[in-house]
Amino acid sequence: MKVLLVEDNERVTQFVVKGLKESGHTADHAGNGRDGMFLAASEPYDVIIMDRMLPGDIDGLAIIEALRKSGKRTPILILSALSDVDERIRGLRSGGDDYLTKPFAFGELLARLDALTRRAQGEGAQTKLEVGDLRVDLLTRKVTRGERSIVLQPREFKLLEYLMRHAEQVVTRTMLLENVWDYHFDPQTNVVDVHISKLRQKIDADFERPLLRTVRNAGYTMTAQD
Amino acid sequence: MYPFMRSSALTLAVGYICLGLAALALFATPLWYAWRVTIQDGRTEILEADAQRLAEVFRRQGPAGLTSYIITRIDMQIPNERFLLLTDASFKPLAGNLTVWPRNVPAQSGRYTFDVDLGGRVTRADFARVALPGGYNLLVGRDLARYTPIEHRFWYALAGAVGILSIVGAFGGILIRRALMRRIHGIRQTVSAIIQGDLSRRLATSSSGDELNVLSQTINGMLVQIEQLIHGVRNVSNAIAHDLRTPLAELRSRLEELSLTKPSPEQTFAELEAAVADVDRVIGLFNALLRLAEIDSGMRRSGFVPLDMTEVAAAAVEFYQPAAEVKNCTLTMASNGPAPIRGDPVLLAQALGNLIDNALKYTPEGGSISVEVRRGPGHVVGVSVADTGPGIPAAEQPKVVERFYRGDASRGTPGVGLGLSLVEAVARLHGSALAFEDNKPGLRAFVVLQQDAPPGVRGPGISAAQQPADAALLHSTG
Repeated sequence: MKVLLVEDNERVTQFVVKGLKESGHTADHAGNGRDGMFLAASEPYDVIIMDRMLPGDIDGLAIIEALRKSGKRTPILILSALSDVDERIRGLRSGGDDYLTKPFAFGELLARLDALTRRAQGEGAQTKLEVGDLRVDLLTRKVTRGERSIVLQPREFKLLEYLMRHAEQVVTRTMLLENVWDYHFDPQTNVVDVHISKLRQKIDADFERPLLRTVRNAGYTMTAQD
Repeated sequence: MYPFMRSSALTLAVGYICLGLAALALFATPLWYAWRVTIQDGRTEILEADAQRLAEVFRRQGPAGLTSYIITRIDMQIPNERFLLLTDASFKPLAGNLTVWPRNVPAQSGRYTFDVDLGGRVTRADFARVALPGGYNLLVGRDLARYTPIEHRFWYALAGAVGILSIVGAFGGILIRRALMRRIHGIRQTVSAIIQGDLSRRLATSSSGDELNVLSQTINGMLVQIEQLIHGVRNVSNAIAHDLRTPLAELRSRLEELSLTKPSPEQTFAELEAAVADVDRVIGLFNALLRLAEIDSGMRRSGFVPLDMTEVAAAAVEFYQPAAEVKNCTLTMASNGPAPIRGDPVLLAQALGNLIDNALKYTPEGGSISVEVRRGPGHVVGVSVADTGPGIPAAEQPKVVERFYRGDASRGTPGVGLGLSLVEAVARLHGSALAFEDNKPGLRAFVVLQQDAPPGVRGPGISAAQQPADAALLHSTG
């Protein structure tokens, strides 16, 4: 994917640009709001990473609002040192699609960018999800693997649905907390891991090839590949 | 400018004086009017009666009789008490104390007021002119100058009253100001001492309920709050210094050792990963502290919405259920139906999560944890988390909500000692407090929430109790 990074801190820039290139993506960089605005408006990007506090006291949110007003629909991830829940809400209201607080792990950033671009490509009104021989019918809420029907509890179903919608991508624990449980805080324990292992018991335990895999230092991924 | 000029006591005194003067004027005006009218009418009556009497004498005794009567009368009277003049048809004086018929007397009989020349002295007088048979003219008058002293006395008395009022008012103003200044000076001294850093000082108060005393008591209450906050901040900074230094020191030595010993790449990577974990610990600590600060600042009250505490609790219980299963503990939830309150759903969920997490941490395998949400009488909702763990000794209970406090039982367990502080802060934000009870065995932590919003943050006419349906709706979409 093609990423635009609007960020004035050199270290963060270097860290993100290098990480993106190593993951096989192309990244442009703008060090101030004006360049960022210009690039975002003129070049076709898959996703934009926008820092909030830019040189000259410019708030990245103002740029996002301007972009949205001019009709740009490129997904935008807001990067900010402001961690208040209220700030997050303001960020998302201004037209951002996701909000990540500094400091962050690169894995978390990459996973979120993946999720954003995938969402933008539009999976919209999908009613059936499939990874390998695991099938989920969103209408009848039936889960089957191969010939076998699997019974899931509502929350397990929601967890599986989120993982399946982001198949072949890395999904972090924070993303799961936010999207499956709507918990915007760190519960300080490994409860998410426990939920995952319970789900694994049901969908993977009796099968030769596991679909739900742990990605070290990042999170989980649902994949049918080896 | 002299300070007295700026004093509010001066304004007060001047105000009082002006008010007094206005009252005096309002009182004197009708009095003056009544006096004027009475005297005037009296004068006219006397003058007319006199003229009648003289005309009667003329009618009975003729011009000669009246002439002698007037002469006798003038001899007997106080000089100039009455002006009397009788003339013949050609206005030649026959008798009287006026030497000449005044030129400005109108031709008809009647009552007039005009100036008259008394041989050099001009005075204003009331006159009654009577035309007598045979062309004789009679003039009876009364000198108005005789009344001036009385009028003067009235004005002097009024001026005196004004003077006394002003002096008493000014004096009263000074006295009030002095009394006020003495108390304000006391307050100022105390406040200056507090500004200098002596936070233990309090304003002097008495049992009287006067305004300054009530104000002083309110300020004292504020000072207690400020002192506690400052004390808390001081404790926290000490705790931060200690708790942040430890992981930072570890991190530093790890990195320094790396740069000095230059171990094999595999070992370097392992060390680097450990270093990142150290940093993550520090970041976690920072985030927890920032969140506490955010809650303490009270700003989060903007996030208050009607919600159902039972649903929040049920979601939290469901979230922690697998963790309890792994530990072989039972985690149960009990409630007596929906419990609508106004609050911050994110914070309440996190607080409840912390309590459950804590209970899970300290309850031994096979134990049980029960979460309860009960709507009680008097619009309260009680939320409790009870476990069968070792509990917290009564002496330690007030300390566990302090920042970074870690009880003896928690040594060797993960955590930074902020979990219960957060619960306490969230409870405080919702106008409540975290309390503990012996669960025999174990610990029961509970918070009693008011169904209405805490004071000062009530929405415009909306209370959660009135709109349970909305609360449930809002929550289910959240």
